[in-house]
Amino acid sequence: MNQTNIPFIQGPVVEEEVHLTLVELCQACSADEEHVMTWVFEGVLEPAGESPQDWRFSGESLRRARLALRLSNDLELNPPGVALALDLLDEIAALRARLPRAGGS
Amino acid sequence: MKFKDYYEILGVPRSATQDDVKHAYRKLARKYHPDVSKDPDAEARFKELGEAYAVLKDPEKRAPYDQMGSQWKTGQDFQPPPGWDAGFEFNGRDFGAGPGADHSDFFEALFGRQARAGQHTHMHAQGQDHHAKVLIDLADAYRGARRSISLRMPVQDAQGRVTMQERKLDVSIPKGVRAGQHLRLAGQGGPGQAGGQAGDLYLEIAFNPHPQFRADGRDVYLDLPLAPWEAALGASVTAPTPEGPVQLTIPSGSVAGRQLRMKGRGIPGTPPGDLYVVLTIALPPAESESAQEAYRAMAKAFDFNPRTQLKG
Repeated sequence: MNQTNIPFIQGPVVEEEVHLTLVELCQACSADEEHVMTWVFEGVLEPAGESPQDWRFSGESLRRARLALRLSNDLELNPPGVALALDLLDEIAALRARLPRAGGS
Repeated sequence: MKFKDYYEILGVPRSATQDDVKHAYRKLARKYHPDVSKDPDAEARFKELGEAYAVLKDPEKRAPYDQMGSQWKTGQDFQPPPGWDAGFEFNGRDFGAGPGADHSDFFEALFGRQARAGQHTHMHAQGQDHHAKVLIDLADAYRGARRSISLRMPVQDAQGRVTMQERKLDVSIPKGVRAGQHLRLAGQGGPGQAGGQAGDLYLEIAFNPHPQFRADGRDVYLDLPLAPWEAALGASVTAPTPEGPVQLTIPSGSVAGRQLRMKGRGIPGTPPGDLYVVLTIALPPAESESAQEAYRAMAKAFDFNPRTQLKG
């Protein structure tokens, strides 16, 4: 096997090294700008910057936006419903993390 | 191809109204949504529900489906009878099954052509961004790694037929990556239309299960069994870590469940995670005469009742 000649593709870790504009976030999760803007107003996503043109979303927003999109498509939830579901899922994750870990996985 | 009874999947009778169908779907979808449910079958169940609902909620699909009769049972070998959809007009609207939607062969055979009729292509559009999940070993996150991964992707040809195409990618896994994070590979997503840029590929990282270590964010956990005397008297024992074995000092008077933190020995990064060693206590079997004698000596030496807390 001649491994040295294979070009290995490199990419940044989105959560740590990437900030996305509104257009990039929409492209990355195949969502409409209108949807994403509604989620920002509902507090599902919290970009830095004042106006939609200046918004910069953290890499973590990608996961939340995809989750929000799946929940709103699959369960036919409206934006406040999506916001509530995400808050509750965050809370469940935080509670799970506080459960004793001994012997479990 | 196996027949699928969409009524059975949604748990509604064939006489169900559109409202009944919607109600049943929503209830089951909330229960089995893979982002919400911890059920290991949730994803498969949810896919099946979505497919059933896509057919039964849409009168244009439900009518021809009903036409095939109620004698079919789930799992029966099935071929669509010739002309099964004759006399029904499809306009393909309002249906998101394109490349990427993952429906059963049964669904594709019945509704695939119809579903694709509704797609339209933007000129000069940038290619779609794609998402895939990739499994790596925990050790890869400690050291960084190069991995060849194969992805299966639905591809649509000029005639609108969808086939699964496999392609191999050689990817560099950066040191310090954690489960749930994404790598963005520029230009590796869907091809652009008519000269548009190709989309990006997002790879979600997940860890292969490891027999000893489990990761939680940056932190890594290890269960370390001790003999009762090691826990009681203290000891120096060898413990495995993802970076190789280390010598670990067990304080005297340790109890099961105690966690020893090895700072900075979790997944590397700024800051790095920690490695937590969770102590467990293993009892030696009392099989030989001398072992039984030792247990009897312990019973004599201790005035110990582990059940003093129990009432009743």
